[in-house]
Amino acid sequence: MSDIFYTKDHEWIKVNGNEGIVGITAYASEQLGDIVFVELPQKGTIFDQGKDVAVIESVKAASEIYNPTSGEIIEINSSLEENPEIINDDPLLAGWLYKIKISNSEELKNLMNEEDYKKLIEG
Amino acid sequence: MSELLNENFHIEKTSLFDFHNQMNAKMVSFGGYYLPINYAGGIISEHIHTRSKASIFDVSHMGQIEINGPFIMEALEKILPISFSKMLPGKVKYTQFINHEGKIIDDLMVHRTDNENSVWLVVNAACKEKDIEHLRASLNKNFDINLRNDLSLIAIQGPKAEESLLKLIPSLLNMDFMSSNWTNHKNYKILVTRCGYTGEDGFEISVPNKYVTSFTESLLKNPDVKLAGLGARDSLRLEAGLCLYGHDISLKTSPIEAGLKWSLCKDRVSSADFIGGNAIRVEVNKGPVRSLLGFLPKGRAPAREGTLIYDSNDNLIGEVTSGGFSPSLGVPISMGYINTPSLDQKEIFLDVRGKKIPADVVKLPFVPHNYFKKGD
Repeated sequence: MSDIFYTKDHEWIKVNGNEGIVGITAYASEQLGDIVFVELPQKGTIFDQGKDVAVIESVKAASEIYNPTSGEIIEINSSLEENPEIINDDPLLAGWLYKIKISNSEELKNLMNEEDYKKLIEG
Repeated sequence: MSELLNENFHIEKTSLFDFHNQMNAKMVSFGGYYLPINYAGGIISEHIHTRSKASIFDVSHMGQIEINGPFIMEALEKILPISFSKMLPGKVKYTQFINHEGKIIDDLMVHRTDNENSVWLVVNAACKEKDIEHLRASLNKNFDINLRNDLSLIAIQGPKAEESLLKLIPSLLNMDFMSSNWTNHKNYKILVTRCGYTGEDGFEISVPNKYVTSFTESLLKNPDVKLAGLGARDSLRLEAGLCLYGHDISLKTSPIEAGLKWSLCKDRVSSADFIGGNAIRVEVNKGPVRSLLGFLPKGRAPAREGTLIYDSNDNLIGEVTSGGFSPSLGVPISMGYINTPSLDQKEIFLDVRGKKIPADVVKLPFVPHNYFKKGD
């Protein structure tokens, strides 16, 4: 069983116990192109599943990031403030956005596994 | 991030469509056409390459209009604020179609040709039909208005543009900026104009549709020349402070507000004998109610089109019409209108998603123009 889940809006969440790390997929990073700015949520704030939680700006446009599972933001990737292009270089590891304390793991059932996500992007 | 997914509706293809796909372009719809937003290297690298070497852009979506008939120049002066008598044959001018209220219907390039009964126009893709309607309504029926769909249009832009083009067509050496020239290349006729939309030296070249792919491929044989898409075209023109129709200029803005007074012939403004002339003359005398300026937001967040502008007392004083990231400067840049009473504000505030970001007000362009001057 994979511990990575995907949203239809191209976010991923890597789950470890009751914590999750959130980022955007390689497909999303590629579609966005050169990323020039990231606005991250504040530590300690609580977001519901599906709420807009962050903004990623590429040269082209601003895109909202939707929170994959409800919970409290416990850490943000502050290296993205100065070097947002890390997301383009390494969207699945170094380009993570924030860590969240998952308040309701039942919600993970609303997300996709890797296989289903691949089907989505391959259309 | 669902806005990433492009809608599929009917859009026109340029003659370079298959070529763009072969070159791994990411295609988007723009002005009713399917065009590359960028190729594999991405917008920033295409932008930087244009400023240092030379890039080719497919701008075939633009409308190339030929109008023929006796006294066409006199007739066009009734709707354009220019004087053909002050242009030599082969000269090109940037101008606007203006309505009775003094607002901009479209901006365009107008060519005085070697034939006194023929004028050449290049207009915006999304305005083609509106412009032709305006021409038909304003000109005598005897004029033949011909949208030249048989021709593609490519731009080669950058400090290496001339050198690269001369390798194919040596006779084009030392063309004046804002001049055009029909020339033969491999038994087909092309129209070369020294102009562009990037702030760099460069050319726009009208090529018959069936030759445009091979012509583009010949230019690309030079390692200094690469392809660039609409994304770089937009960031380049924004750095150069050039207006984009439908955004910085529109039916809601006048050429005076947009800082385009330089493009209007002074004598024509005083005589006001063109459509919209009275409104323009009044505005020139009274001064515009707002002006287009540049903004440098503090920090990294781009302030895009529609961002509201406030003064330090939280009064709404204007709006951003274009904004993004400047690859040349490595910072966000925006342009937009500030109401006249607030024009002396040195620091303004841009409302980006509810946060008031301080910004410096600067004169345009952000990056100096690098146009060709004879004797350089």
